[in-house]
Parts: sequence; C-alpha cells; structure tokens
Amino acid sequence: MTLTEGASVLEAVFESALAHRAEPTNTYVSLHEISMRGMIDLRGLNTDKKFMAAAKQVLGIDLPKAPRTSETFGDVKALWLSPDQWMILCARDKAPALTAQLTEALAGIHSLAVDVSDMRAIIRVEGEGAREVMMKGSSLDFTDDDFKPGYVRRIRFAEIAALFNIVEDNVIDLYVFRSYAHYTMDFLTKAARKGSEVAALRK
Amino acid sequence: MLLVTCPICGAEGDETDFHFGGQAHIARPATTNPEGITDAQQREYLFTRINPKGLHFERARCDRGCGKWFHIARDTMTMEIKAYYGVTELPPPDIIAQAKGGWAELFAERTAHAKKTK
Repeated sequence: MTLTEGASVLEAVFESALAHRAEPTNTYVSLHEISMRGMIDLRGLNTDKKFMAAAKQVLGIDLPKAPRTSETFGDVKALWLSPDQWMILCARDKAPALTAQLTEALAGIHSLAVDVSDMRAIIRVEGEGAREVMMKGSSLDFTDDDFKPGYVRRIRFAEIAALFNIVEDNVIDLYVFRSYAHYTMDFLTKAARKGSEVAALRK
Repeated sequence: MLLVTCPICGAEGDETDFHFGGQAHIARPATTNPEGITDAQQREYLFTRINPKGLHFERARCDRGCGKWFHIARDTMTMEIKAYYGVTELPPPDIIAQAKGGWAELFAERTAHAKKTK
C-alpha cells in the first residue's frame, strides 16, 4: 500500500475488519460495520477521587459509576465495563491524542489508558427487529425495561465474548474482538435473514 | 442450572455467564524458602481438595459482566446459594458457623490466624 499525497498515515495503514465484505442484503435489519471509531481502554479505581477528577478534566464527563450505563459528552462516550474499567469512544483520528492527554493527566495516579482502537470490530444492528436478532444469539431478554438507550453490557453472543451498547431504541452496537468480525457478521446475517422473524421475541 | 447474581455489579445470569474457579480458600505454601516446603505440603496444595456433601465454598468470575472474581457459598445437595462474598474475604460468620468437616477446620485455622495478625 502506498501513501497518497495529503493522506495521513492513519488512513493509509488502517483497514477495518470487514472492509472487503459487501454489506448483507436480504436481512430484516440493517447490519453494517462502524469502522472509524477510536476506542480507549481506561482503568482506575472509581473510589479514587483524584482519578475521577483527572478523567473528567480530560473527557468532560463523569465516568459512569452505575453498572451497565454510559455517559456521553459531545463526540466522546464512556462505557462502563466494570467498577475499575471503562471504554472511551471517540473519533478514530482523535484517539492517539486523547490517550496521550489522559496519560498525562493521570500521571502519578494508579491507572491505565491504552488506545485499543484496533482491538475490536463494531457491527451496528439497526431496525425494527434489532433486539430480536440480539436475542437469537444471547441469553438476555432484550425486551426487558432495563434495556434502554445507553445500556451497555458484556455478553456471551453466539458463543463468543462480546459487548453491546444500545444507542437508540432500535439501534444496537455490537463490539466483538476483531478476529471474530467475520464470524459475527455470518451469524447475524443468518439470524436476521428475511422470513426468519420471530413474533414471540417482539415486545 | 444455577442462577447466579454477581455481588459486585449485580449482573444476573445462569452458570454459563460465570466462570467457575474451583475450590475457594486454597493457600499456597510460603515460597520464601522453597527448599523448606515438604512434599506433603506441596501435595496438599496441588491435589487435596475439600469435598463434603452440603455446604461448599467456591470461586467464580463474572465473565459476561464486570469481569471480577468473587466467592460463592453453595450447598452441593440443594444447589442453594447461601452467600456471596469478596474474593479476599472469609465467608460471613453465620455461614462459617454452618461449615462442617474440612471446611470447619480450615475456617477455624484462618480466623485464628486473622486474629493473631490483627
């Protein structure tokens, strides 16, 4: 691959996990990859006031303390992963700078900020039956009242480790480790094939 | 099927959402002087497990939730989960009082040790 004039190194080197794959057709929900999102793994104790303040200073948001919730500020979003771990979402080209800012602000505090933008692939499941398709691969009841926009949770989806975030009512972002991207897309394409709607799984 | 609730993040799930971590409270013999550890001690540490019928203590990880380890006190006969407690803690006193056999001995030893180090 060659660098074209004016293109940043990032654009030239980066290729998303499903870049060469045509988006599936004949499905009753839309499935597409979200590729230009930066992800930062942030760890620190939520009981450490210094840590929480430093994170807020850089990100502009209080890191969510309640399990399975997320916080948004502008184009930065923090997903709760555990009492001492968050995933920070931002634009992909901003991730290295934001990681550096976090590292600087957190100097001397027991913590960790790593740019893990290449670690996961994101598939957006969107449409009327989005929750239904997710239910076909997991043991969770997506019609439950808890599952409202902003909800985030690690799950076992189609027998692999995954993470999902409900963005809007019928828009769900599914995060899987990059090497599972094709497998997950295959699974979703089959699970969402037209004619396989399950009325019983709808609210 | 076991229905488990994570004591740290509150995630509910069946046992496949959690990773079973084997028997709880296994102490590794001190390693400051490896020569001084007897074969019997090492065998005890590696292979000997407490396996009574009834109240049992085990470790689990909240695999699909917060990813943290914690302890479960479970009855192996009724599958009833009696208590959850932290990974660095001993069970609540009322649960310790119900422990039998090897477990009673282990907790007697540990609580005596905890008192001494206090």
